[in-house]
Amino acid sequence: MITNDIYGALQLLVVGMVTVFLVLLIVINLGKLLIWAVNKWAPEETVAKKAAPVAKAIESIDANTKAIIDATISQITGGKGRATKITKL
Amino acid sequence: MEEILNNIYQMTAFSDIIAANGTYLVMYLLAFVLLYLGIVKHFEPLLLIPIAFGVLIANFPGGDMGVYQADEAGRIVDASGKVLAENIWEMSLPQIAHDLGLMNFLYYMLIKTGFLPPVIFMGVGALTDFGPMLRNLRLSIFGAAAQMGIFAVLIIAVASGQFNIKEAASLGIIGGADGPTAIFTTIKLAPHLLAPIAIAAYSYMALVPVIIPLVVKMLCSEKELRINMKEQDKLFPSGQKMKNEKVIKIIFPIAVTTIVALLVPSAVSLIGMLMFGNLLKEIGSDTGRLFDTISNSIMNTATVFLGLCVGATMTVQAFLNWTTIGIVVGGFFAFGLSIASGICMVKITNLFSKKKINPLIGATGLSAVPMASRVCNEISTKYDPKNHVLNYCMSSNVSGVIGSAVAAGVLISFLQNMSI
Repeated sequence: MITNDIYGALQLLVVGMVTVFLVLLIVINLGKLLIWAVNKWAPEETVAKKAAPVAKAIESIDANTKAIIDATISQITGGKGRATKITKL
Repeated sequence: MEEILNNIYQMTAFSDIIAANGTYLVMYLLAFVLLYLGIVKHFEPLLLIPIAFGVLIANFPGGDMGVYQADEAGRIVDASGKVLAENIWEMSLPQIAHDLGLMNFLYYMLIKTGFLPPVIFMGVGALTDFGPMLRNLRLSIFGAAAQMGIFAVLIIAVASGQFNIKEAASLGIIGGADGPTAIFTTIKLAPHLLAPIAIAAYSYMALVPVIIPLVVKMLCSEKELRINMKEQDKLFPSGQKMKNEKVIKIIFPIAVTTIVALLVPSAVSLIGMLMFGNLLKEIGSDTGRLFDTISNSIMNTATVFLGLCVGATMTVQAFLNWTTIGIVVGGFFAFGLSIASGICMVKITNLFSKKKINPLIGATGLSAVPMASRVCNEISTKYDPKNHVLNYCMSSNVSGVIGSAVAAGVLISFLQNMSI
C-alpha cells in the first residue's frame, strides 16, 4: 500500500511540477505577448500632468531639503511624480 | 455550605481544567504565544490575533466555542465519548448552532463548505498589483520552482507511513505558504486534518520573518545577497517596456483566468476569484465601489471569521496528538524546502546567465504576499542599504500565488476521487 502511495506521490511530483512550470511559462509568455500587442496597437498611456502651482509651503523649506525630496520622489516614481506641497509636521 | 461551594466550583471551568491534567494549559500557552507574536512582534497581526483568540476561547470547558471535527460519516463525538451528532451533514444550520454552538455554526457554514478561501482570494486579488510581475516577467518563473516543497513533503509524508496520500498532499500544500489554498485543498482531500493544517499554514505564514532569514542564511553567501538588481538591469537591460500599463493590467487577469481554467479547471475557484478581484481593481473608477467593498468590507469580514474559526478548531482533542505534531513538523519542512528550492533555482540560473539574480528573489517564490517580499527587501538592505529588491521580489512572490493555486489544482484533480 505504502509502495503504491510512494509511486503515486512521485507521479504527482513530476506531473505537478511540470504543470506549475508549464502554466507559469504560459503566463510569462502571455504577458510578453500582451505587452507586445498593447505596445503595437493600443495608444500610449498619457500621464495627466497637473499644472498645479507649487504651494507656498515649499518656499519655507530650504533648497537643499527640497532638492533631496524631489530626487527621492523622482527615483521612486521613475521621474513621473513631483512634489506639489511640502508641509512641516 | 460545602455542597454550594462544590456546585459553584463545578460551574466554573476550573473543575474541567484541573481534571484534564494541564492539557488545557498547553493550549492557553499556545494562544498567549500567538497573541504575543501578533501584538508585540507584529507577525501578521491581522491573521494571527483572530487565530490566537480563537484558540483561547475554544479551550474553555463549557464555553461551547470549540469546533468539533466530524468523521467521514459526519459523526461527532466529544472527548468523553458522548455522541453529539449522528450525521452533521444532515443537520440544518440553525440546528448546528443550537446543538453545537455558535462557532460550529460559523465553521460548518463558512469554512467546511469551502466558501471563505475563494472569498479571501478575491480580496487578495484586489490588493495585488501585477505591475512588478509584468515589469520583470522572467523572474516569475521562480514562483514555480518554489512549489517543490509541496511535492517533496508529499513524498516524505507518504514514505513515513503516518499519512495516506490524500493527507500527505494536504500536509504538503502548507509549503505553498498560502492559507486559503491550504484550507481549500484540505477541505477537498482530508477534511479531518483541517484544524492542524490551517493553524500550521497560518502560523508559518506569520513566521515568514523568522523562517526566510533562517533558510537564506543557510544557503546564501554575502556576495550573492549583495547582487544589485538595478545595476544588473542597467548592465543588461530587458527588452520590452510597457507603453500602456493600464490596458495590459486589465487584459492580464482575464487572459490568465482563461488559460488556467483551460489547463487546470480545478484551480479556477481560486485563480478565478483572485483575478476577478484584481480586474475590479485595475478597471478603476467604473468599478471603484466594488473594488472598495471586496478589498475592505468583504476581505476584513472574511479574515475575522476565517481567523476565529481556524483558531477555534484548535481544541485539546484536535491538537495534542501525534498526527498534529507530524503536521507541524512536516509543514515546517514544506515551507523551508519551498524557500530553498526557489533559492537553488536562482543559483542554477546564475550559473548559466550573465545577468545575475539576487537569490532572495527565489526565496519569495512561495506565496505569503507581500510579507515575503518585505522580509527579503529588509535582508538585502541590511547588506547594502541601496539595494532595494522589493519590486523584483514581488514578481516571483505574486507568481507564487498562481503557482501554489495551480499545484493545489493538480493535487485536487488527481486525488479527490481516489479511494483510499
